[in-house]
Amino acid sequence: MKGELKYKLLIISGPFIGFGISLLLLGFIAFLMKENPINVYKAMAKFSFSKAGIAYILADSTPLIFSGLAVAVAFQAGVFNIGVEGQYFIGALVGAVIGIYLKLPAIIHLPLVILFCMIGGALWALFPALLKVIKGVHEVISTIMMNMVGYTVALFLVNGPLSGLQKGISLEPRTKEILPTAVLKPIHGLFSAVGIDFPKYVALDFSFIIAIGLCVVMWFFLYQTRYGFNLRAVGINPDAAEYSGIKTKRVVFWSFLLSGAIGGLVGLHEVFYIRKYYTFNIAHGVGFDGIAVALIGSNNPFGVIPAAFLLSGLKRAGYGLQLFTSLPNSVITAITGAMILLIVISNTVVLRIVRKMRKKEVGGV
Amino acid sequence: MNLVVFFIIKGLEVSAPIAFAALGAVFTERAGVVNIGLEGIMTTSALFFVWGSVFGGNFVMGLIAASIAGLLMALVHAVASITFRVNQIISGIAINILAVGITRLVSYLSFGQETQSKTIPFDFPHVFGINIMVLILIPLTVISWFVLYKTVFGLRLRSVGENPEAADSLGIPVFKMKYIGVLLSGIFAALGAVALVPNPWVEGMTAGRGFIALAAMILGNWDPVKAVLASMLFGFADALRFFFGDVELIPKEFITAFPYIVALFVLSGFVGKATPPAADGIPYEGPGED
Repeated sequence: MKGELKYKLLIISGPFIGFGISLLLLGFIAFLMKENPINVYKAMAKFSFSKAGIAYILADSTPLIFSGLAVAVAFQAGVFNIGVEGQYFIGALVGAVIGIYLKLPAIIHLPLVILFCMIGGALWALFPALLKVIKGVHEVISTIMMNMVGYTVALFLVNGPLSGLQKGISLEPRTKEILPTAVLKPIHGLFSAVGIDFPKYVALDFSFIIAIGLCVVMWFFLYQTRYGFNLRAVGINPDAAEYSGIKTKRVVFWSFLLSGAIGGLVGLHEVFYIRKYYTFNIAHGVGFDGIAVALIGSNNPFGVIPAAFLLSGLKRAGYGLQLFTSLPNSVITAITGAMILLIVISNTVVLRIVRKMRKKEVGGV
Repeated sequence: MNLVVFFIIKGLEVSAPIAFAALGAVFTERAGVVNIGLEGIMTTSALFFVWGSVFGGNFVMGLIAASIAGLLMALVHAVASITFRVNQIISGIAINILAVGITRLVSYLSFGQETQSKTIPFDFPHVFGINIMVLILIPLTVISWFVLYKTVFGLRLRSVGENPEAADSLGIPVFKMKYIGVLLSGIFAALGAVALVPNPWVEGMTAGRGFIALAAMILGNWDPVKAVLASMLFGFADALRFFFGDVELIPKEFITAFPYIVALFVLSGFVGKATPPAADGIPYEGPGED
């Protein structure tokens, strides 16, 4: 049993090795750009670990958790859902329509909005899922195309039928205001109750709780239920799963839709708390960031949460660099890219080493 | 008549970036390595084309800088996916993310702005009013076909993608051939980036062409000539925007989305017939080792 623990620790150490190497790389780049590496690390830590810094990291991690979880669930079933970006744009738009045009009491309205965000996201995953199951079209290609089409559909609807542009106020292509009954509530009070007073100007809202809760639910689903077991079995070895009686195609199809439904929630934080209207200018690229989050978190729902913190923390650290050192913000963007690659490599290498050690152990007996 | 000629020239020019990248995709996948990092390689090469053009002062320097950038990015993918045997899709995604960071940093350091470069200090070369890259594309397609099907090198490359164990037992250096396939895809992606005429380079200017190239390669059944023809299907669908962009009846958003819709439509109809190389996407573990 002691051996198992050793392997587990080794596997968990994978991402930290990649992270450590990329921090060293950052120091080296700083040195090349004639900046003291120690100052760089200090500036990053100081800016990220202040009270406001932590609040920002938690708040900004919300969309990343949803999008990372969406990618991770699909990955576990062997589906590369690169289409979270489109699912997020369409999901948030469908939810916004419910939030703008339906008049309901808050206790029904908000859950309905969340449900329709998920339906919108799943809808945008439906076509690639069908293409994969029926025609064998690789989802990496089809979801990328759906992203492009999703952007243009969102832009068209916001410019046209759903436009809420008020003349003379702003030129941003946007919808009308979302009704107050469909807007999320702040959660600063919850943190105050346990003695942490986060500044009021940081947008921490209920979607953060939903994101964390959904990770718990998905972990339970993946690791404690029969459906989750089947899903992971298909991801690990579809042929073996098929032979053991699992309907592989059905599992792939439904996990694709599930992933899309989670992807539809990425916009909750920005559209239903910060802006309170839908616009084409909502953050682009969060769907792609989710791929990075899932990779760093080894596709485990509980890995997704710290991975999202890491990415939003790095973003925050980037602002710290810009303010307190001579380095530009883009250094952090470049390091983040390198870090993802290094973490993926170190994860793979560590897994390989563990497999070899296990084999040796079995052979020795 | 004039309009038809204009449409054909525009169509070819818009097709060329996709077609070059599709040729690259054919080489790497024929060697058994999937490279969805083509998009990121194109972005990086496009920036380095401007970089080489601005600091080297002419087109050839730009072309060289773009090619080296494409080669290095492809090398990263090769090291990760062939040597370290990281899942090829995952490594490709990481390359795309890495490309965003590298281009922003280089653009900031060289041109003072993260998302846009300077313009190139000369007119992009045209022959008879046609983008010079279009003229390079046609012979290069024929050469690619010849190399792949009529030379020993091509036979070895294809054998590595079909059955690496058998190739290895015949003494073909599997890892080396895979590296060559991936590196070739980097150079082709760089040519595709130059064919985009990045003047100036703007972040996001590749707009998914690296992925459309993969769709073209699938549609072209992993054959260079057919992949280039498939690229033209997408390119000409895209070129329609030069004609219908101002028509009031059609929302311009749908004109922009048209090539992607065509790609989806075509993939859903045709792909049943496509057969990828047998060992495509599977990391080679080495002879007799597990």
